[in-house]
Amino acid sequence: MNPGGIAPARARDLSLWTDKKLPVLFIAPVVGILLALAIGPLLFIFITSFTSWELVSMAPPQFAWFGNYANILADGRFWNAMKNTLILLVGGVGLQLVLGLATALLLNREFRLKKLVTSLFLIPITIAPVVVGFQWRVIYHESFGPLNYIIRALHLGNGFAWLADTRTALFSILAAEVWQWTPFVTVVLLAGLQSISPRVYEAANVDGATPWQVFRRVTLPLLKPTVIIVALFRVMDVFKIFDLVFLLTGGGPGSASESVSLYTYINGFRYFSMGYATALAVIQLVIVTVICMRLVKMMRVGRA
Amino acid sequence: MVKMSRRLVLVTAMMLAISLVIGGGIVTGQSRKPFEGVKIVAFGDAGHNLKPFEWYKDKIKEESGIIIDQVVGVPFTSVYEKLKTEFVAQTGAYDLVIFYPAYLGEFAGLGYLMPLDDYAKKYDPKLDDVSTGVRELNIRYGGKLYALPYDGDVLNLYYRKDLFSNEVEKANFKKQFGRELKAPDTWDEFLDIAKFFTRKKGEKLAGETLKEDFYGSAELAARGFSYAWWLARFGSLGGVYFDEDMKPLINSDKGVKALELFKASLKYSPPDVMAYGYEELKNAYLEGKVAMVVQWSDIQKKAQDPRISKIVNRSGIAAIPGTKAGDKIVRSAPMPVGRVLAVPKTAKHPEAAYWVARYLSVETSLHDVSSSETGLDPYRKSHFTSPKAFAGLLGSEEAAKEYLETVGVNLENAYPEINIPGAGNYQDVLDLYINRALSGEMTPKAALDAAAKEWEQITKKLGAAKQKEIYLKAVETWKSLGIWK
Amino acid sequence: MKEREIRSSKSWQAALVYFTIGVLLLFNLFPVYWMFVGSVKQRGEFYTSPPVFVPKQLEWHNFSRALERGGAKGIKDSLVVAGSSAALAIVLGSLAAYSIARYRTGGDNLSFWILSIRMAPPIAGIIPIFILMRYAGLLDTYPALVLAYCLFNLPFAVWLIKGFFEDIPADIEGAALVDGFNRLQVFWRIALPLAVPALIVTGLFCFIFSWNEFLFALVLTRSRVTTLPVIISGMVGGHEIMWGEISALSVLTSLPVVILALLLQRYLVRGLTLGAMRG
Repeated sequence: MNPGGIAPARARDLSLWTDKKLPVLFIAPVVGILLALAIGPLLFIFITSFTSWELVSMAPPQFAWFGNYANILADGRFWNAMKNTLILLVGGVGLQLVLGLATALLLNREFRLKKLVTSLFLIPITIAPVVVGFQWRVIYHESFGPLNYIIRALHLGNGFAWLADTRTALFSILAAEVWQWTPFVTVVLLAGLQSISPRVYEAANVDGATPWQVFRRVTLPLLKPTVIIVALFRVMDVFKIFDLVFLLTGGGPGSASESVSLYTYINGFRYFSMGYATALAVIQLVIVTVICMRLVKMMRVGRA
Repeated sequence: MVKMSRRLVLVTAMMLAISLVIGGGIVTGQSRKPFEGVKIVAFGDAGHNLKPFEWYKDKIKEESGIIIDQVVGVPFTSVYEKLKTEFVAQTGAYDLVIFYPAYLGEFAGLGYLMPLDDYAKKYDPKLDDVSTGVRELNIRYGGKLYALPYDGDVLNLYYRKDLFSNEVEKANFKKQFGRELKAPDTWDEFLDIAKFFTRKKGEKLAGETLKEDFYGSAELAARGFSYAWWLARFGSLGGVYFDEDMKPLINSDKGVKALELFKASLKYSPPDVMAYGYEELKNAYLEGKVAMVVQWSDIQKKAQDPRISKIVNRSGIAAIPGTKAGDKIVRSAPMPVGRVLAVPKTAKHPEAAYWVARYLSVETSLHDVSSSETGLDPYRKSHFTSPKAFAGLLGSEEAAKEYLETVGVNLENAYPEINIPGAGNYQDVLDLYINRALSGEMTPKAALDAAAKEWEQITKKLGAAKQKEIYLKAVETWKSLGIWK
Repeated sequence: MKEREIRSSKSWQAALVYFTIGVLLLFNLFPVYWMFVGSVKQRGEFYTSPPVFVPKQLEWHNFSRALERGGAKGIKDSLVVAGSSAALAIVLGSLAAYSIARYRTGGDNLSFWILSIRMAPPIAGIIPIFILMRYAGLLDTYPALVLAYCLFNLPFAVWLIKGFFEDIPADIEGAALVDGFNRLQVFWRIALPLAVPALIVTGLFCFIFSWNEFLFALVLTRSRVTTLPVIISGMVGGHEIMWGEISALSVLTSLPVVILALLLQRYLVRGLTLGAMRG
């Protein structure tokens, strides 16, 4: 039933070719999509960042050299947003590390219902940031929120208008962020702790070290790579913070809690200054790339 | 074989003809429903002002055949950014859009909207019945009709009638300030009264011991529309947006003074006043936490709704305070928001969308502006001459008359929105810096200077000459309406 | 004597541990509890001080109203978007991951380039992608979001699945090649079946990321596609905030992902660190 024996040979050739090229064929779709979605846009924002392009007026873009970048450097609101982002970064990640490590050490002990407790700890990570933002808005409410009620009931003071007060708005975002992501730090550090061989501890115990000494001289050094990786992950995420700020304060009062991401969004999709917004985006891209390179280096070392 | 098939063709053709006639009969029988099965998507700021779409969904379908397929709600302060993104992208996602007329200049000027004049000839939107200010400022651009009114926003002064008529309070006030206690005529008086009524927990108010702190006034100080609460002061001092060369005048002495007056009143406001948008400001007043607020016209309706209000029959409305100029008092009542209904150029079913817009603007509007379920405010002459429609809610026909008259007075003293292209941008920047001054981040002078500088940049990037031309034309309209000097 | 001291100090210690864990759990779970309570509160119960900690009556209507006001469509759209982008990610991701894990295609540089895309700030991507989708006429459609989510789901899937493939010993596949299987057959008949659990885990992660995503959905959708986070944010900013309805929608948004995450618990560390930590 086979009309002519040439076709199978061709098919075999083809399949041989396919087989040889399989690794490339397999990776092609992903690389193709990512090139289109990442490299194209990268070139686009890079070029656009050197133009003045105002969608409000629908006027065509004009070449502006380094105009946008010069304006950004002189823009107080940008530096303010940068400062806010840095505060969130240092304060938020710092708190998450301290609290996360403490919790991880606690959970690393044996106790009843350990599995259940660990599961419950994880819940905040999974909830959509928009939902987290809304819930904390309710919690922070000046007159009807539970937070101020508890503060007043315990006679700790009169509470705050958390999201409306210049002094507390940024801190309130930070607290919600810490609430959501400390569990992440906890579980990663817990995994790190559990990978430390018990024999190391046994050796330390034989030497008669106090628990504090064991922690300082054994646990911490062995945990250090994990701490750095988890810190870099959080630094990168917090640097990009948008959803929580958008939902909780919208950057207010004034611009007291504006993050760089939010400020970029406002320039792009409220003022429609595409040149300026893309220049802001390029700056953030550079900063993230620097952090990312550090992280990648850690991951490479970790693999080796 | 061939013959057979010819016969078959004939029979088929006859059947087709018959069915067409019958079908045509059905179609003509239903021709009173011009838009049978047409689905439209509406867009607006989320919340109570979209309720009419739910209420009249069935009626609209019954009368026109139009199916309101979807009503997309966005945050109150994001209307500009969401609509502008859509207009830039032109996806045709919405058939009928509700927005604030400050953006009309930009949206109509850039050709995003469909002119409605032809539809208006077909289905009369009764524009003669629309109050002059709303008609001239909110729905027309460049001589063409681009929108139908949906909400007639203007700011009014509300005060607690029961407190202002309390004998003890009146006597105390007279002792302290040497004049009668009554709704303030000037912003200085406003501050005096706000100060007078601000009391701590445990003190007495109108003979009763307070269980919670009580405040003299509250403002809309959250980001978004706080600029309008500044405009109320700025306008009464004679402030204007630009001079004739498009140099911003918002940072003039008048601007700074207005911002200082605004900021001073925060001392007598609840501690979380910086978070007060529409919702929070309304609640503070309805919960009985403050003695006075400046708010949109719908608050009086809301105050009469016992489900949400603790001050039923105790809220008074008055002309917005002003500034003394000689022996006259200059008042200026800003008109922020003031929703209109419009049809985007990319709409899939523009005529059906217009039909719905007209239905809501003409047929149901009296009910909607007099219902405490919505935040919509009167904007038609027929609304102002129908106190009966408001009487049930406001307690009596007299109260309704007083309400409508006062809103009318404030509309006469209206201060126009800056409705030139880029309005969304100008307003947002102004609002930001006013907010920064209120929160103490910057001094009033520094904040307004910075805002003025950004205004110059906005003007420049939109084309200074063009902006100037459009602004001067707008000023002419304002002058002809008698709301600009 | 001494032993009893030790024991009592031990039980004292244990009590302290339990107490601290209790406090931490309280802090962790209170906002979640507040969301659940809010979803069954009546309107008036949101405007009281002290706040209502335990509602008198359960107001289930919040859920039906939330579903009517866009919630039902939101759930459908979120399911479609998150489901298809997760499926796309594991299909394409497993191919690329296999290629990298077994053949080192493109070397370290390519794989770390893929990883770095995952870490780029979304705000940098959204402006060009918005304009790209505008010219492609894809705004406000499912493909717009599904494609956009590839930007972070694909790199994630490649990296996670790559790690799983690396965990599978290559010897079996080598033996199969010797037996006359071609590479495609080896992948299809041997490697892939072994990786099925990994694919499921990866798919669920991608589903969660897409389900929760806000910024892209905010900019790329209008009316035909409306995912849950966008609907919630619209309701939060509106007038007469519908606290009960928003809380109900929050519960509906959170419940599926919380359950999925608990199922994934074993892989959570590995997933969230892109395989950098094996947990």
